Amino acid sequence: MSFWLTVFRQVGRNLRQTWGSQLMTLLTVSLSVLIFAFFYLIYANMLTLGDKLGDDLSLIVYLEEEPGPELQQQLRNKILTFDEVEEIRFISRAEAYERFAKQLGQNQDVLNDMPKDFLPPSIEVIPMKNLRSLNQVKLFSTYLSRLPGTLKVQYGQDWVERFYYFTKLLSIIVLLSGTLLILTTIFMVAYTIRLTIHGRQAELELLKLVGATNNYIRTPFLLEGLLQGAIGSFLGIFSLYMLFQWIKLRFSGPSFLNLFEFSFFAPEVSFTIITVSILLCTLGSYSTMQKFLRI
Amino acid sequence: MIKVSKEYPPDVVALKDISISIDSGEMFFIIGRSGAGKTTLLKLLCSMEAPSSGLIEISGKPINQLKGHHLARLRQRIGVAYQDFKLLIDRTTAENIAISMEVSYKKPQIIRKRVRDLLEQLDLSDKHDTITGELSRGEQQRVTLARAVANSPTMILVDEPTGNLDAATTEKVMTLLNKCHKGGATIVIATHDDSIYRHTSHRVMELQKGRLHGITGGELP
Repeated sequence: MSFWLTVFRQVGRNLRQTWGSQLMTLLTVSLSVLIFAFFYLIYANMLTLGDKLGDDLSLIVYLEEEPGPELQQQLRNKILTFDEVEEIRFISRAEAYERFAKQLGQNQDVLNDMPKDFLPPSIEVIPMKNLRSLNQVKLFSTYLSRLPGTLKVQYGQDWVERFYYFTKLLSIIVLLSGTLLILTTIFMVAYTIRLTIHGRQAELELLKLVGATNNYIRTPFLLEGLLQGAIGSFLGIFSLYMLFQWIKLRFSGPSFLNLFEFSFFAPEVSFTIITVSILLCTLGSYSTMQKFLRI
Repeated sequence: MIKVSKEYPPDVVALKDISISIDSGEMFFIIGRSGAGKTTLLKLLCSMEAPSSGLIEISGKPINQLKGHHLARLRQRIGVAYQDFKLLIDRTTAENIAISMEVSYKKPQIIRKRVRDLLEQLDLSDKHDTITGELSRGEQQRVTLARAVANSPTMILVDEPTGNLDAATTEKVMTLLNKCHKGGATIVIATHDDSIYRHTSHRVMELQKGRLHGITGGELP
């Protein structure tokens, strides 16, 4: 009989004999993967959204007076002293008025009684794409507010800050659920294998005495851990995918989810999560054998 | 075995300075009362336990230094019928016998045939699919013996093979062991049943309180 045929027979026998605890472990692994993958999916999508918003990020520096060409050059130099920027655009009072009127669309007649220079001139600064962190944007904003003749700097502070803290919170949740995944997969699998080893003590003792090699005895346990990891993580990812599809279907239409492209993991990410789960479960199985299966 | 001793804590001396040499293909009897050290000696021979001192060699190799793969290979060549049977009581008779052949990766059809042959020789054909936990002590003893000889080992160690058997079944067990012996296997039988060694031409070693009391017989094959 070939080695692998014997091993698969042993695995099948083990699974039949301890199906209750095996099922519990499988469910725990699936649930851990589902929880982790769920938060990671939200986090990944938030990062994509953040990137997208970052592309549109611009700081508007409102000025007291409209700068002449010489002052414009000086301001430009001052801004560039802080850091390289993507673009610096000077907006005159008249341009500001025109833009505002355009934004109002059909309601622009409300501006009829207003003077055409009631809006302050401004500088639109579009930072480089690498200026991502909130602290850097804040520092840049403070720097711009100190420029001569500056009234105020705006970049949607509240919104950016809230988004930043939400993403940070999500990253903590992802870390916690990742830790949960590691602990549950390793310990639950290790515990199940330990139970199996105790339950089969007599058989293992006999196998040893009739000349079973270490590989013959250990491989089925390793394979059990591997199977727990593979099936458990696949179920977890598959459940999340079904949940994702359901949410997409259920909340399709003009809602928050449609503001941006909410997408599922790329196949490589799903594959990585499954591979890591398999490795963790096999590690759990291996560590138990090292501890409790002395051959 | 050269000056082999075995002590169990705190100070129980199971064997003391035993030196013997058993030839390949020999049938060898170890006799003595309960507690004389017969079972301990068999356990040392199959490396189930390690001696406290002394040297045990099989085919010129010191067995207490063997580990891992080498030890497993050695154990595959030694068939042991334990006094406490060591049967898997939730498995069938056939599965219990097959286990010693499965570890050396014998083909399923060869295993099935060998199991059927052995069950027939030991008058257990009707117990093929019976769970061993449901067998009588005598039947369990025969299954243990069948498992010991199934893999055609070069050495067979048998501990009290006839303890629970009637005269007719004892005859069958001894016939099987003699057949293995004729096939070239070294047979070591530990027993206190004088009916199986009384008229033997083979060597008989007597142990008393863990010490070698004497060796009689000795027509080597």
